[in-house]
Amino acid sequence: MTDDPIAILIHGTATQDRAAFRDLYSASSAKLMGVLLRILGERAEAEDALQEVYTRVWLKAGRFDASKGRGMTWLIALSRNLAIDRLRQRPDHVNDDDAMAAVSDPAPRAETRLIATGEARRINDCFATLEPDRAEALRGAYLTGLSYSDLATKFDVPLNTMRTWLRRSLLRLKECMTS
Amino acid sequence: MSEADFTPEEADDALAGEYVTGLLDRDAWNDAESRLRRDPLFAARVADWEQRLSGLNDDYAEVPVPELWPRIESRLFPRAAKRGWLSSLWAWGAAGTAAVAVVAYLALSPAQPSLTATLVAVGSTLKYEAVITQDKLTLTRVSGNPADAQHSLELWIIAGDNPPVSLGVIAGDRETISLPGVEPGQLLAVTLEPLGGSPTGKPTLPPLAIGKLDSV
Repeated sequence: MTDDPIAILIHGTATQDRAAFRDLYSASSAKLMGVLLRILGERAEAEDALQEVYTRVWLKAGRFDASKGRGMTWLIALSRNLAIDRLRQRPDHVNDDDAMAAVSDPAPRAETRLIATGEARRINDCFATLEPDRAEALRGAYLTGLSYSDLATKFDVPLNTMRTWLRRSLLRLKECMTS
Repeated sequence: MSEADFTPEEADDALAGEYVTGLLDRDAWNDAESRLRRDPLFAARVADWEQRLSGLNDDYAEVPVPELWPRIESRLFPRAAKRGWLSSLWAWGAAGTAAVAVVAYLALSPAQPSLTATLVAVGSTLKYEAVITQDKLTLTRVSGNPADAQHSLELWIIAGDNPPVSLGVIAGDRETISLPGVEPGQLLAVTLEPLGGSPTGKPTLPPLAIGKLDSV
């Protein structure tokens, strides 16, 4: 845990230590802003969501368990969850075009791969065992919050086909990651 | 193609994976959220997927954030905010006073400054130096970021127990304004406001940075 300064700050936050909480904000807000902006696609909404994220962090920090994973992983999971929830509760998918544009970016850049952590290397290796289309769809869903309907449109396949593909791909991914 | 060959366990695991990946449309998403709250086994599957997919997080780039900390603080700790702008300001002012570094420009400038203040922030690197020379105030941002495109930074002066008086929006990194009649002990404060400045003529949030004017 000593190699995870974010985890230490989350523990501090859980004890109502405002200074630790402020340091946590300084150390993590740029990354979480990156997450929120990528999923929500709008600066103003991402800024609003970021405030909500730290409100939740303050309230939920006690639930963080460092034995289960890294602090930044927990913060990103919380941020993604909030952003995807906002996306799903929107009255209509106003942001579909933006999201489409985002996912058609060349996925991870070469240099990102080169400096990838062990975890990232492992998941990238496992993604490489999937059909390229399905790997791209899963990656797009995770990184930008694309739903089955979005992906069915983008890849021009029936929704149920997309669903079957990706459920199988997920289980294969799990198998690969746990082997 | 059917999913008849999925065991119930596999089907649950796939659902947890779909949920974490963000694939589910609104109704299915909401169902998964409520299941998450009442089904610890499903929650554990979700937690496993969060770890399993976390290697993808490297793909999220860091993005510079505007000064949102004061809003987060006032959202979470409203009691501090409700004490009123002035009284919370005094608390900030006390901290600010301790940190105020008097800048000696005596030997440097032809017209000698009469008053200086260093405006320091709690929770960020934002910092301004203020120098008053012959009824002119020069404010210079020495560290920290300007406001983002949706906001403005606004400068205020507070004399004693009087409400803050706006000295206007800070447009650049260095501003000079005419400001006669300033006395030692008055406070300068910078707040984050909607674009164009506070719509009410009063600060809408506690100050980002604050400092006390002292005689040189």
